[in-house]
Amino acid sequence: MNKSENRIDKIVSDLLRGRRLKLRGGDAEEKAAITAAARLAAARQGPVRMSPAFRKRLARLLQDAPSDGWITRRAALVAGLGLAAGAATGSLVARALEPAHVAAASGGPINPISGRWIDVAALSDLVEGQGKRVTAGSVGAFLFRRGDHVTAVSSICSHLPCELWWNGGTAHLDCPCHPASFTPDGRSTDPQYPLPSLNTVYVRVTSAGRVEVLGTA
Amino acid sequence: MSGVRPGEEGAGETGDILELPAAPSAADIALDELELVYAFIYARVGNRADAEDLTQQVALKAIPRLRQGATASSIRGYLFATARSVLGGFWSTRLGLSEAELRDDLALVTPPRADPDRGVASVQRVLAELSDNYRRVLELRFLHGYSLKEVAAEMHSTVGAVKVMQLRALRAAARVVLE
Repeated sequence: MNKSENRIDKIVSDLLRGRRLKLRGGDAEEKAAITAAARLAAARQGPVRMSPAFRKRLARLLQDAPSDGWITRRAALVAGLGLAAGAATGSLVARALEPAHVAAASGGPINPISGRWIDVAALSDLVEGQGKRVTAGSVGAFLFRRGDHVTAVSSICSHLPCELWWNGGTAHLDCPCHPASFTPDGRSTDPQYPLPSLNTVYVRVTSAGRVEVLGTA
Repeated sequence: MSGVRPGEEGAGETGDILELPAAPSAADIALDELELVYAFIYARVGNRADAEDLTQQVALKAIPRLRQGATASSIRGYLFATARSVLGGFWSTRLGLSEAELRDDLALVTPPRADPDRGVASVQRVLAELSDNYRRVLELRFLHGYSLKEVAAEMHSTVGAVKVMQLRALRAAARVVLE
């Protein structure tokens, strides 16, 4: 019997039981059938709304953002609030990376007991879409820039304690010790055997356009 | 969503000057818009767990871009642009494809209007375009929740044949969606 119909039926059965989509690389050949199945499974439920618990969680996520955080750094600079914006950006990024606000599988942030903000680069040194390896004392991190915002993940693999490297070709962080790679936000790229996410690293952008990482002296 | 902020509950009592409700905050607007984003994503992934994860990703990505004074339409535009990007990433990761390899129907889908029945209607339209056998197998399986055995019994066929028909019917449904 052809494997495709068995795989598709497994996916359909999972969807009808309300389970997550568990796909394999080989399923790409049947992507059209899979997405059609997902849409039909959704239609079976009719119009859906968020569960009250999930809506509450999202509300908390949005409400917890500090009020000054709703001002973009660019807008604040225009208003002559550069210093406040630097702090706002830093706190916002840090807050967004707190484990309570990210997926359960996410690695927690690295929070050194005697942490210090270490200047690691100029914002202008960072190229969008490219990871930049920096060290802040004993903390190694890859920085990623999106506009005026910077995020950072640990440079150490979440599985084997090896230094990751930035693979510009795939836009992933690859582990040299075993076949594992991570997206710039630290998630494992292997859908079948996902590793824990990379630890996140606190990072902020100062009003002078410098990037600082919470590291050690 | 309430238009009254904490500390303003007393407004409107006898003798008070009635004031217009305070403008909803960007967070309030975003939460309501995220309800639409959730429905939009759910309609494409077909399960709550993935839909919640992806909606939360949209919210996290959108927070730095929201600001007081932003209009509902600009917030909606940004949230749906983010949702499309997050969905594209989801399918590319799950299927092991680069986003460039994904068809428009997977990643660059059109944002819905605020009509929650639209998805159901579009599925009915898709089913109506299929041949009788294909429509029947998908209706029994998805809309009535029949097992393969039950579908086979209903259609006087075998489980193996129904599996093959299910795959072909889904492929046909996907082609209708693309048209």
